[in-house]
Amino acid sequence: MMLSTDPWVWLAAFLTLCIFSFLFRDNIFYQFAEHLFVGVSAGYLIAITWHNQIYPNLVIPLFRQGNVVYIIPLLFGLSYFARFIPKIGYLVRFPIAFLLGWGSGAAIPAYFQRDILRQTQGTLLVRDMFTEWDSGLWALIILVGVICVLIYFFFSRERKGIMKPAANLGIIFLMLGFGASFGYTVMSRISLLIGRFQFLLGTWLGIIR
Amino acid sequence: MNIVQSFTKIPRQVVFVTIALAVMIPLIIPIGLPVRVMPKSERLFHAIDSLGPDSKPVLISCDFDPQSMPELYPMLVAILRHCFARDMKVLVMALWPQGPGMAEMALEQVPREFNKTYGEDFVFLGYKFGVTAVLLGMGDNIQGVFPIDYYGTPLDSLQLAARVKNYDDLSLVVTLSSGDPGWRAWLLFAQSRYGANLGVGVTAVSAADVYPYVETGQVLGLLAGMKGASEYEILVQENGYSEGRRSAVQGMDAQSLGHLLIMVFIVLGNIGYFFMRRQK
Repeated sequence: MMLSTDPWVWLAAFLTLCIFSFLFRDNIFYQFAEHLFVGVSAGYLIAITWHNQIYPNLVIPLFRQGNVVYIIPLLFGLSYFARFIPKIGYLVRFPIAFLLGWGSGAAIPAYFQRDILRQTQGTLLVRDMFTEWDSGLWALIILVGVICVLIYFFFSRERKGIMKPAANLGIIFLMLGFGASFGYTVMSRISLLIGRFQFLLGTWLGIIR
Repeated sequence: MNIVQSFTKIPRQVVFVTIALAVMIPLIIPIGLPVRVMPKSERLFHAIDSLGPDSKPVLISCDFDPQSMPELYPMLVAILRHCFARDMKVLVMALWPQGPGMAEMALEQVPREFNKTYGEDFVFLGYKFGVTAVLLGMGDNIQGVFPIDYYGTPLDSLQLAARVKNYDDLSLVVTLSSGDPGWRAWLLFAQSRYGANLGVGVTAVSAADVYPYVETGQVLGLLAGMKGASEYEILVQENGYSEGRRSAVQGMDAQSLGHLLIMVFIVLGNIGYFFMRRQK
């Protein structure tokens, strides 16, 4: 066992234990660590936004290099604050309209490509998928799963005849999906706990290497 | 109340303590349970392994924060080791404001293990705000988006960065992502729009969401959570690329025992529930 001599490691260990103390019940140590985290996060974000965004992308080009075109984004940005003055509140619509228009134009074709075209393509059965029996079987299961889940979410027709068993099969596929997601969530949370214990037992207490 | 009924009323403190013990004990006394490498992790490994010193650089985006460190940081270290062992050039960047801290920690450690030089073998671009504009801008001109690196050096004065114009000059983009912005944005803009080759490492929570894109080939390979990280660490070691510390592999015994215990609690809870319902 070799205790760390780094004061920052001790501070991190103390804050970790403060957060863990919530497992027993809410207490002043937990509240201290929680408030400290919120404060530090907010401060860090403000600092990084200034140094990384506003200063190099607006202050330098506009005020140091004298590039007057940058007045346009400055005015657009400032017009967000027009909401606080009812008389000129309508000005906020300009930057919102710009962002919506630009954002939609940039994203919609890419979304279509990523989530509809390529995913539909991947669901179709083609000869190449059946070169090996297992890949063919999985491709078939995916196709059946997609169709049954889509039928489950098809609300314009009463569920009778073939629609009923297909929708029920769709529920099974959905439940399998939820189960997989939940399993992965448990795995993720245990990983976070392992990470903290590796820090406490390794970096801080020096029990593990 | 009989024993079976008490299964539904186990105090939560008991659950916490037993889970803590199940995780802590294997970390102190390792059991050495085997870890099987999954095909999706192997695919990413082979995608990087097929590259060499003459290939175009690899871009790694650290889109995570300290909260996801146990899952994603070992991936970053293992991928860096793999790239440097194969003498590949690496660019590192972040879409998360906390990402540079994670990247800097790895870049202080791994390049030293392989005697790599900053500017020639690797460059750290840092963090840039504005996901869509950043990723679209990089498709046109990376230096336009990152005129200077993380340390304030102009990019055109760095030998490696000067010869990378856009995604066409990269052999692979790997995003280590714990949410948004992350793999979805890279897939949306870098892969779907510019056709960049994309590898993904995610926290286990998001892994199930990436699967459909791996199936269609939009994502070349996937590392899922600490398990994915441990698989990559194993592949890097088995192929003789590095003997460095493997923190994800170290956590796998604890992971398995933790899962086992949770399964036991779920089964016990269900048994208790069914018996109680039958009695009613």
